[in-house]
Formats: sequence, C-alpha cells, structure tokens
Amino acid sequence: MPGDLAAWAAILLVAAITLGSRLAGAFLMSRVRMSPAVEHFLDNLSISVIAALVASLVARGGLREAVAVALASLVMLRWKSAVWAITAGMVIAAAWSFALKS
Amino acid sequence: MTQTPSPAPEPPGGRLVLSPAGTWRGVRTLLPVAIFVIPFGIAFGVAASERGLSVIQSLGMSALVFSGAAQFPTLEFWQDPIAFASLALVVLAVNARHVVMGAALSPWINTLPVRHRVLLLSLLSDPNFASGQMALRAGERDLGVLLGGGLILWVNWIAGTAIGALAGRLIGAPATFGLDVVMTCFLAAMVAGQIERKTKILPVMVAALVAVVLLDHVPTGWNVILGALAGGIAGSVRHAR
Repeated sequence: MPGDLAAWAAILLVAAITLGSRLAGAFLMSRVRMSPAVEHFLDNLSISVIAALVASLVARGGLREAVAVALASLVMLRWKSAVWAITAGMVIAAAWSFALKS
Repeated sequence: MTQTPSPAPEPPGGRLVLSPAGTWRGVRTLLPVAIFVIPFGIAFGVAASERGLSVIQSLGMSALVFSGAAQFPTLEFWQDPIAFASLALVVLAVNARHVVMGAALSPWINTLPVRHRVLLLSLLSDPNFASGQMALRAGERDLGVLLGGGLILWVNWIAGTAIGALAGRLIGAPATFGLDVVMTCFLAAMVAGQIERKTKILPVMVAALVAVVLLDHVPTGWNVILGALAGGIAGSVRHAR
C-alpha cells in the first residue's frame, strides 16, 4: 500500500492527465485541423487499451471472471445496454460464488 | 492547415449559449442514466477500499478524476512503490478517446468564452457526450445540456463512491455480490459496444493478444500499454490501406 503522499501524488497525476485529455481535443481544433489519420489512431488506441486491460484482467483471474466477462460482452452485443451487461456479469459471478460456498 | 468541412453544418439563427435553463434540461435528460452510475460508484468505492485507499482518497479521486475507465485501472497500480510512469501511460491511453470527443464537439464549444469551455469540458464523459452531441446536431442551441448532464453524472459518481467506500466493510467480501467483476464487465461492455463497427475487431484482437502474451514478461502495466499501441497501430494500418 502506498504512503499518503504517494497516494495523493498518484491521484493528482491521474486527475491532471484526465483533465488535460478532456480539454485537449477542442483546444487543438481551435488551432489546427486534426488529420483523419491521427483521429483514427486515437480512436483505435482508446478501444485497444481497454481491450488490453480486459484481456489481462481475465488472464490473471479465473474461470469465474472469464464467464462473467463473456456473458457481459454477449449481452452488450445483443441488447446494447451497458447496464444490463454489467448486471448480467455481476449476477453470474455472485451465483458462482454462492454455488461454491454451499 | 487545411480547411475541411466541419462535422456539423453551422446551424442557422441564434448564437450558442450556456444558460441555467439549458443546464437544468441536461440534468433531467441524463438523470435516468445517472442513476445507474451509482452502483458503478459503489463498485469503485468497494474496490478502492479493498486496495487500501482511505475514504477521503477514494472520494478525492472520484471528484477530481470522474472517470471509471481511468480510476479502475489506477487501482491496479496501488502498491508501494507506485509505478508512476506506467500509470501515467495507461491513463493517457485510456483517455485518448476524450481527445476525439472534445474534437468532435469543438465546432459548438469553441464559440464560447474560454472559461466556459473549460467548465464544460472538465465534466465531459461518455454519456453526456453521446446525448449532447445528438442534441446539438438536432439543433440544440444551449450548451448547458452538456454541462447539466456532466454535473448529474459527477454528483452520482461521487455519491456512489461514498456509499461504497463507507459501507465497503459492511458489504463484506465483494465477491458475494459479484461486485469484484463490475470493473472488468464495465470495460468489456465498452469494448463490445464499439465492436459492432467492424473496423474495431482487428485492433481489439491484436491488443488483447499482445497484452496476454506479454503478461508475465514485462513490468506491471506495460503489457497493457504495448497491447494498446499494437492495437492502435493495427487499426491505423488497416485504415491506411
């Protein structure tokens, strides 16, 4: 566990980067026109980093996490609702834990 | 600097404004979505206290960062010492989509004074971007809809975090309610929501593969960074063809 100072430094770092990213798009556009290639790269980068995160979380987790993620993804693909996707993932994970306990 | 057509035609009549009435309209429009932000906030609060963040630190992070996609991965780095450089790169990559969203809104937002732009953009997130952009394209003249939507999402995100951080110990083991998988499922749903655009399948596959293959071979977080870059490049190469 990090010390208090390191913890707040990390929080401020993440906050600053996130705020910067929120401001960057509109301010860049007031100076230059973003090229379509750059826009595509950023777009692909955003989805790729999340895909990479999910993949490594699932790889480090167990079958329970993998099943929950698979179900959530299917629900999202079929019904386009993030809320139901996450609910479905939670329910199956909770049921899994419950079944193992009893 | 080349001039290309702006994403939306300059709408006729009336300047763009930022008014309390429009802000209130944004609050009401996004209230149904924002209510569902509370359980995510709870999941974050619980996960954060599991990782050892104090209640104040969890609340501070939710108030200042206001992004589940940035905050959940940050918890992965919560050890002593914190790998600041890797953390910064992961957060930078997660946030790349904000740059695209801000650019998409720029035709409208850049008509406002700078301090109003900063106010609006600092609360930019996926739901208020999606609904705000739709409204503006349909002729909405009041940028308050973006601000109001952002405000209600922000308040509920903090409220959920507070519940999770304070009640985390009462809730007990997060696995009992499946709360431990909320982050992964949320991120998976974000990916699945975009994969319907066929061009996204290749970058997603490449990113996931590289991240898993490198998992045990590079320092914390770097498999994600390298996976993301590989996916971004794969997508761009495909686009360039």
